[in-house]
Amino acid sequence: MTTTRRAALTGSAAALASLTAGLPGLARAQSKQVVVGTWGGDYGELLRQNIDQPLVVPQGIEVLQDIAVADPRKTKLLAERQARRGTYDIACLSDTDMHMVAAQNVFEPLEMGKLKRGSAILPALAKPYAVPHIYSALVLLYNPSKVTTPPTGFADMWDPKYRGRVGFSDILYSTNTFSAAMAGGGSFSDYEPAKKKLMEMRSLDARIYPSNEALAGALKSEEVWLTPMWLARGFMWQKAGIPVKHVVPKEGAYAIVFEAAIPKNSRNKDNAYTYLDAMLQPSAQAAFADRMGYLPTVKDAPLPAAIAQQISLSEAEQERLRAPDYDYLLKSHSEILDFWNKQFKA
Amino acid sequence: MAALVLPAGLLVVMLLVAPMALLARISLNRFSPTELMVEATTAENYWRAVQDPYYQQVLGTTLGVALGCTVLALALGFPAAYWLARMESRWKSLATILVLFPLLVGNVVRSAGWMALLGNEGAINAALMGAGITGGPLPLLYNGGAVVVGIVAVVLPYMILTLAAVIEGIPRQAEEAAANLGGRPMTVFRRVVLPLALPGVVAGSVLVFILCMNAYATPVLLGGPQFKMMAPAVYDQFVRGNNWPFGAALAFILLAVTLVLTVVGSTLLGRRYRAA
Repeated sequence: MTTTRRAALTGSAAALASLTAGLPGLARAQSKQVVVGTWGGDYGELLRQNIDQPLVVPQGIEVLQDIAVADPRKTKLLAERQARRGTYDIACLSDTDMHMVAAQNVFEPLEMGKLKRGSAILPALAKPYAVPHIYSALVLLYNPSKVTTPPTGFADMWDPKYRGRVGFSDILYSTNTFSAAMAGGGSFSDYEPAKKKLMEMRSLDARIYPSNEALAGALKSEEVWLTPMWLARGFMWQKAGIPVKHVVPKEGAYAIVFEAAIPKNSRNKDNAYTYLDAMLQPSAQAAFADRMGYLPTVKDAPLPAAIAQQISLSEAEQERLRAPDYDYLLKSHSEILDFWNKQFKA
Repeated sequence: MAALVLPAGLLVVMLLVAPMALLARISLNRFSPTELMVEATTAENYWRAVQDPYYQQVLGTTLGVALGCTVLALALGFPAAYWLARMESRWKSLATILVLFPLLVGNVVRSAGWMALLGNEGAINAALMGAGITGGPLPLLYNGGAVVVGIVAVVLPYMILTLAAVIEGIPRQAEEAAANLGGRPMTVFRRVVLPLALPGVVAGSVLVFILCMNAYATPVLLGGPQFKMMAPAVYDQFVRGNNWPFGAALAFILLAVTLVLTVVGSTLLGRRYRAA
């Protein structure tokens, strides 16, 4: 790499800017900025294409993405919660993670007066501390050419004829445990029956993959025929030529909502509200549905009929969906993780 | 003169000692799912980690992998280091750069390469199945073997360079004298080269052992979800379980075990060296 004089000058200007960034009223007041803590990959890219560039940048606000998977960002939010100035102006997390972090008093209660699009949010998804961005449902994915009798519920994964063909994504340990709990007669607030079911699944040679992407590879090579997964992922995988169909399990399942919130120690709260508003714009919502198969969280987002047909849920299916019991998950999370690691995976 | 140590010393205090002290304090706190942690002065996190068969097994796996990789790196590294040290051609600096070459690629990227090689649809399995040698893919990835191969590939350059530096200091005349007195090559190696190279063996082994004990990316990526070593277990407690006190206790246990074994190991080897 060669360094041109211009680049060197820009570099030293940037260094100067970062030095003065700590001085209130000097450099920072002139540049409007919003720091978004988000996943990378498709999600981050879609944020950039459909929210940052067309909706936020034209308002004179520079958007900086701080990219990581959810867990390290959660840890950062928790570690910084006592600090006067935090890293993020916007934190993107799933509903369960968001509830966990919100319980530590990390987020600013949303001022609906500052949120122009607040009234468009689907009431069932509204929260006092976060706006819903997109959502999907937990479903059972299966390979229709191998699983010839379509499954109806989570319990079908325990059919001995699918020995060695059920796969789990390791990062979805809590969701996988939920599916085992429901198959074993448990409930949203009682994962205890999952222990017995998971140990049965272990003796049925269940396969565990380190990431959703690795699981997708296994579904593609038909090494795995059945897995609990988000409907939106199933939609994306189908589009990528992976042979899967889905069923909303008869035992019941939950919706997953990806949310965004403003930490109390955000340094650019006004810009953060502008960003949240942009996330709720119909055009941005429709783009996430089209590319990733997630459902809009606002009442007025147009959805092309072909996509709506693939990712929407019938009324009967919607009746099987509920919100997770966040308080139960908050209390039982470490026990669920411990069982998953020490008993099921060991 | 003492002032020369000041900048580095301050940096170490700020970036290492202070955070470690904080971590030590956290390890004595109590975990609470709703409040994250509760201020306390209790040894229960340590007690739990020591007693729990799962963590005993994780520590056992870590020790096994670290010792195995150290021995393997020594066995593979010594001949290469000897060759490098005794090299006199103008290619010597090129050879040294080649040894260093693997370090130019980060651990994660290197592991991704191993995954492309060892995976079910990886190059090796594709070749084996293409040639009709195996019917289905062999499980090469996501097990201890893959981790050992991956880690050895990372630590080998450290071992070779440390050994080569010491072997270069051994006068060639010592070997020639031994050979002249009738020593066979193996005897010369065992009674002359090895004892003189022992400080390098100790330094290289200690360096490699510490690196192996704390390996993170390689066990996570090549070991898969069911293979656990200590560093990933510590990360799991902090980041997935939000249990900072227990994670901190695990971290200190890993530190203590590594420190004790390093001191004991190098003392024992050092004593042999003096005896020889």
